[in-house]
Amino acid sequence: MATNPADHMDPTIKDFEAALTELDSIVKKLEEGDIPLEQSLQLFERGVQLSRFCHARLEEAERRIEILNERGQLQPAPSSLGSDATATGQTSSQK
Amino acid sequence: MSSLFDLPFEPPEDPQPPAEPVPEPRRILTVSQLTARIRNLLEEQFFEIWVEGELSNCKVWTSGHMYFTLKDRDAQIKGVMFGSSLRLLRFKPQDGLRVVARGRVSVYGPKGEYQIACEHMEPEGLGARQLAFEQLKERLSASGMFDPQRKRPLPALPRKIGVVTSLDGAAIRDIIKVLRRRYANAHVVIRPTRVQGEGAAMDIMRGIRAISRVPGVDVLIIGRGGGSIEDLWAFNEEVVARAIAGCPVPTISAVGHETDVTIADFVADLRAPTPSAAAEMVVSRKDDFCARIDRLSQRLGATMDARVHRLEARLRTLEARSGYAGAHGRIAMRSRHAAELSHELRRVMRAQLARRERVYHALRLKLETFDLRRRLESIRTRLVAADGQLAAAFTNTHHAHDARLRDAVARLESLSPLAVLARGYAVCWDAGRTRIIRDASTVAVGETVRVTLQRGELECDVRGGSASAATQPPAEPAPR
Repeated sequence: MATNPADHMDPTIKDFEAALTELDSIVKKLEEGDIPLEQSLQLFERGVQLSRFCHARLEEAERRIEILNERGQLQPAPSSLGSDATATGQTSSQK
Repeated sequence: MSSLFDLPFEPPEDPQPPAEPVPEPRRILTVSQLTARIRNLLEEQFFEIWVEGELSNCKVWTSGHMYFTLKDRDAQIKGVMFGSSLRLLRFKPQDGLRVVARGRVSVYGPKGEYQIACEHMEPEGLGARQLAFEQLKERLSASGMFDPQRKRPLPALPRKIGVVTSLDGAAIRDIIKVLRRRYANAHVVIRPTRVQGEGAAMDIMRGIRAISRVPGVDVLIIGRGGGSIEDLWAFNEEVVARAIAGCPVPTISAVGHETDVTIADFVADLRAPTPSAAAEMVVSRKDDFCARIDRLSQRLGATMDARVHRLEARLRTLEARSGYAGAHGRIAMRSRHAAELSHELRRVMRAQLARRERVYHALRLKLETFDLRRRLESIRTRLVAADGQLAAAFTNTHHAHDARLRDAVARLESLSPLAVLARGYAVCWDAGRTRIIRDASTVAVGETVRVTLQRGELECDVRGGSASAATQPPAEPAPR
């Protein structure tokens, strides 16, 4: 994972937590039935979208350990700490 | 030692050898001079000292200064602490407390007294620490810093996990190990700090502030591994408590072992019994997340499948009832419409057939007076046209529709006079072809009549005939 994928694939999804909660409620709503077919198809589509988002977010975080030094700079942690000596050059690429 | 003076009957031996006679000139000092020299000596010698002892006679005067006596079993010294220093203490000096005081010795000439002018004082020993702890806890609690409604929930899936701790202890390794195990691609940002000894609290405070400003850090673990109460003390300092309270992202305190409770634990949004436990709290297992999402996705799919199956079943029932084949989708989406359509189709069909039957009857009535072939031909074209219209109007034409239509046409044709002629019957007209002859008596011998056959027409002369009035049922024509 070289780059941080777009934070939000969909602007209507706030974050992981919100997505998971919404997915939960969609499933419940669909399981309860009594929804017109047209609407349930829309909910289904939304549900699929949310579950994709959640999976993507789970994979998105970078496996990385950094040290914030006294001067406020981020540096890769020494491998002795259990980090995976990933000398990914720019340490502050997140900014 | 003082027993020396308690033994009056045995005069002490002089332990010292007789002093050599020193011819020293006698120097006489005034009391003031002596006091000045003592002051110089003491104030130079004891410029900054630490002394421990028990407080007694503590009294804060209206001036704001506190006067007290510091004592141990065998000695005591008077002390003063000025208001400016007193205000900085993080505990309230009380009689009976053991304290460590820092200050200098000063001499008060007018009274011939010396005392310690105290600049700093801290409680000494477990009981005193406990007191400082309780006092701070009480004060922060009163200021609302521990209120449950201040506690923020942790993010379900942190982007970056901040850790403020020492790089030396086991704590950081434990945290990383657990994070790796639960959520392999966790992104961890560590701010190394001293966690015990002089300056540790300030260091931790600065660390909390710095790391909470790193973009993406959305949860913070603050802590250290186990140690003595003194070792953990930095986490009982007010600066640390205030830094945690002011931290813009949710915090987890993880100090020492389960049994160690620090002020930081009360202020943090969540208290973890150990650093490892903090790592477990900060993120659920990735596997658990995946399983949960997959379960939801599965239920999502299953509920839609069930729905589709129900619809299919309903569609099949509809199809069976209406006799429609095909048009699945349309019927599914608009079963009601389909039913209406079917009803309408039947109605129109019946109407059309009825009309055709009426047309047929009318035709039959006029059959004798019209050119049958042409008439029939035009009817057929009209029927075909109508048939086409019908087909166009209803794309999902009922099979029976066509069949019945064809049947109607066939019936129409089978009953037409042309078919009768084809079977061998003939029509007899008068010579002018104006009327059909039905009675032989209306024709005289020698008259000419015309006979229409299936193909062609004959002009015949009447040579004779029977005028019998009996209507002979036409015998079945002899097979040709």
